[in-house]
Amino acid sequence: MISIPVKVAFWQNSDCWGCHQSLIDLHLALLPVLPALEIVYWPAVVDFKYNSLEAREDGEIVVGFIEGSLRTKQDVEGTKLMRQKCAIIVAFGSCSCYGNVHGLANQWDIQELIDRKFSQVESIADESGGEPTEHVPGFESKIVPVDRVIKVDAYMSGCPPKSQQIYSAIGFLLGQKPFPMNDLAFCNDCALNQSGCLLDAGKLCFGPITSIGCSLKCPNNGSPCLGCMGPAKTVGVRAEKLNSMTKDLGAISSGDKKSIFEFLPLFLNLPLMAGFDLAGDILKQIKKHGAPETQLANLPPTTEEIASNLMSFLRDNPDFHEISNVCDTCPRIIGSKSTMTRVKRDYEGIPNMEDCLLEQGYICMGPVTQAGCGALCIKVNAPCTGCYGQTKWGVNQAERFADTVLKGFNISLSKEELLSQVKDPIGTFEKFTLASRKGGA
Amino acid sequence: MVKEIEVEPVTRLEGHGGLRVVLGDDGTVKDVQFNIQSTRFFEKFVEGRYCEHVPRITPRICGICPIPHHLTPTKAVEDAWGVQIPTPAYKLRQLLINAKQYSSHVIHFYALAAPDFLLGPFADPALRNVVHVINKMPDVGAMALKMMDFGQKLCAAVGGKAVHPISAIVGGMKKPLDEDVRDKFLKVIDEQIEFTKKTVDIALKVVEDYWDVVANVGVVPTYYVGLTKNGVHDIYDGDIRIVSPTGEKFDYKPQNYLEALGEHIPKHSYATHMYYKPAGYPEGIYRANTLAMINCADKMATPLADDALKAMREKIGTNVIHHTFAYHWARIIEMVESIEMIATLLKDPDIVNPDCKTLDVEPREGNGVGVTEAPRGLLLYNIWSDAEGICKKLNLLVATNHNIAGIEKSLMHSAKQVFEDKALDGLKLPDPWIK
Ligand code: SF4
Ligand code: SF4
Ligand code: SF4
Repeated sequence: MISIPVKVAFWQNSDCWGCHQSLIDLHLALLPVLPALEIVYWPAVVDFKYNSLEAREDGEIVVGFIEGSLRTKQDVEGTKLMRQKCAIIVAFGSCSCYGNVHGLANQWDIQELIDRKFSQVESIADESGGEPTEHVPGFESKIVPVDRVIKVDAYMSGCPPKSQQIYSAIGFLLGQKPFPMNDLAFCNDCALNQSGCLLDAGKLCFGPITSIGCSLKCPNNGSPCLGCMGPAKTVGVRAEKLNSMTKDLGAISSGDKKSIFEFLPLFLNLPLMAGFDLAGDILKQIKKHGAPETQLANLPPTTEEIASNLMSFLRDNPDFHEISNVCDTCPRIIGSKSTMTRVKRDYEGIPNMEDCLLEQGYICMGPVTQAGCGALCIKVNAPCTGCYGQTKWGVNQAERFADTVLKGFNISLSKEELLSQVKDPIGTFEKFTLASRKGGA
Repeated sequence: MVKEIEVEPVTRLEGHGGLRVVLGDDGTVKDVQFNIQSTRFFEKFVEGRYCEHVPRITPRICGICPIPHHLTPTKAVEDAWGVQIPTPAYKLRQLLINAKQYSSHVIHFYALAAPDFLLGPFADPALRNVVHVINKMPDVGAMALKMMDFGQKLCAAVGGKAVHPISAIVGGMKKPLDEDVRDKFLKVIDEQIEFTKKTVDIALKVVEDYWDVVANVGVVPTYYVGLTKNGVHDIYDGDIRIVSPTGEKFDYKPQNYLEALGEHIPKHSYATHMYYKPAGYPEGIYRANTLAMINCADKMATPLADDALKAMREKIGTNVIHHTFAYHWARIIEMVESIEMIATLLKDPDIVNPDCKTLDVEPREGNGVGVTEAPRGLLLYNIWSDAEGICKKLNLLVATNHNIAGIEKSLMHSAKQVFEDKALDGLKLPDPWIK
């Protein structure tokens, strides 16, 4: 762990604190991390007031975590203040990334929401009522994700993100890197270096930027290096070739996309990168603002460029998240002995623990939900409701769900039958993400 | 000139709040406002959802106490549809809510309250936090962390996720505890009971050290609201009980809550104010949370906790207790009860019994009420279902509603003590345990 503490701030918008609870749930594992953090703002735990945050220099805080949805005007203001004061902004949790369940409120006009809560509820028992207006901030008319208001550098979805994921992400952002980071790149020792280089065959091999130290098993078997030894201090001669390939990834096959997805977490030591999206320039930000002696702040320029190219590609590629969804991490059998013949409600029957819940008749959002949680709900026999967010955006989510599941699962219903049996499509298919629909409402 | 003192935000508080004290030019306290600055309209946007999905949405009301927000709406829908759950499910839910009660009370005591007591209220704000406590008192810190870890891991084991559980379903529980998982918790339960006893000792020492404060600051007579089952403290299945400032008790079935609980919409807070309806507003303002629960209980549900309750009544008084600082003591009594409940339930074969969900569940039109005691106070869901089981309407009374008017009232009292009577000047404060 690094020696000079890095300044971090935690900001909470309208939310439940669950993301912070998930961080705190690391308990004993948190102890080694704490000395590496100089917490300059965290109202939940530390006694600093708002004006102490205002008084900071712009960009002085290295990492700012923003939790919660933008429900009030204060939320939007505070979010902008955080952007001003922090070099790297992390949208922390599905509230910040997508608006979360609070976005379901976008189905109504704000006045209807206010009326229900402050004028109509059954328990109001005196003459009072109406929207409170003294020393309270006022509401935004619709909830939008945080990145519609400020630039976000990293997204950590999940409601809440798993503790281990947060740990992994913090370690990464602080530039922690336990790999040896040897002087030379592995490519120099590779048997294919003289002839038969995988790069020449158009395959993405990360040998030119990866440390020596392994037994070269992958290229000896004809497979590209996936970077598991981490970055080298210098790059091999073929690094420029690799660099130019990563600038033009448009034509790359989905198998190779998967290899990028495997490479980055290994190489950058971000073991749980699923559910953690990075802006392409995050390494530049870490270099500029992070603790100067850490390894991620000292990557060779070519290495940094290659990693950045890959990250930009993944972020801009609409199919990226389809690479990995909750089903990939689910222990249940797909193509089981069960078949969905009608849509069941969650209170019906008792599903068995072996067969895919969809095939047993229940709506499970696993196939269209980003991986990251490890199929937590399914392990206690409850279907996934999609809290990590969709694998694809800008489409009709109900239709996409139907199209996806009718392809790969035992379902003896037509698309129309399937969809007409779901009585609450918004609450079923967009429970956590309605506010992220293109165009807001 | 009128002077306003603002505290923005109020830290180590769950939820967004600012505090405002208005002083007149003669130095008298004119007004104290607790401004809760956020709300998210859950009571509206669950309309149109499947009733059985409401408990998968509402835990997001509070990440510190998501378990009551999972179980209570489930109970409300069961009430609306007339569903009876099997005994193993009942016990699993008791285990789940007590696991949360335990971890939450530990977090509250060690992370939110202890920094004030152990460092003293006038310590450097940069140091007055749990991180510093852990650094300076590593043994106590490690013990506290192990206690929180136990509670949260048990929540995750029974609930599926510690934050935002999913295992309760209308009709029971989706799955019992696995035997090997149960055995892991059984192995360390004795250690946890020891930790709890040590915590009681620390707390009693703090009470002694701060006795002058406990006995003299914030002694505010109000009503109290809590849950008891025939007079016995019960956080999962109690009926509503109101205790008057003089100690009279009134019991209500949850379904009759509208007779007892009135809501007042203040102009200065998004969290509304609750009060005892027959007494009117503001006379009927009540307080909820640990001390209120203790004031409502004739006795605790478990032996050690009941001894602890008797000890508290011997020291402070046998009738209703109005000492705001006694909330911490009451919390410790509840912590003891929760670990005893957990120990008993872990040994009960029902919690690994797969017969934990009834097949007899049919939606019907009507409304149902569920109540539980969340770690910060009474939680009530009133859910209206249509014949297909779609949620038509929700009324939701959360701990913050029940607490906020009472907190304002005690803050007013404390502000008068501080600014008018200068009561704090003569108070005896102990040397801080850590500096
Ligand atoms: S993402 Fe979920 S856990 Fe995190 S603050 Fe929002 S509602 Fe709470
Ligand atoms: S649909 Fe659900 S239950 Fe089935 S494999 Fe995917 S995540 Fe698992
Ligand atoms: S299974 Fe689905 S709903 Fe459950 S935690 Fe994972 S992503 Fe969220």
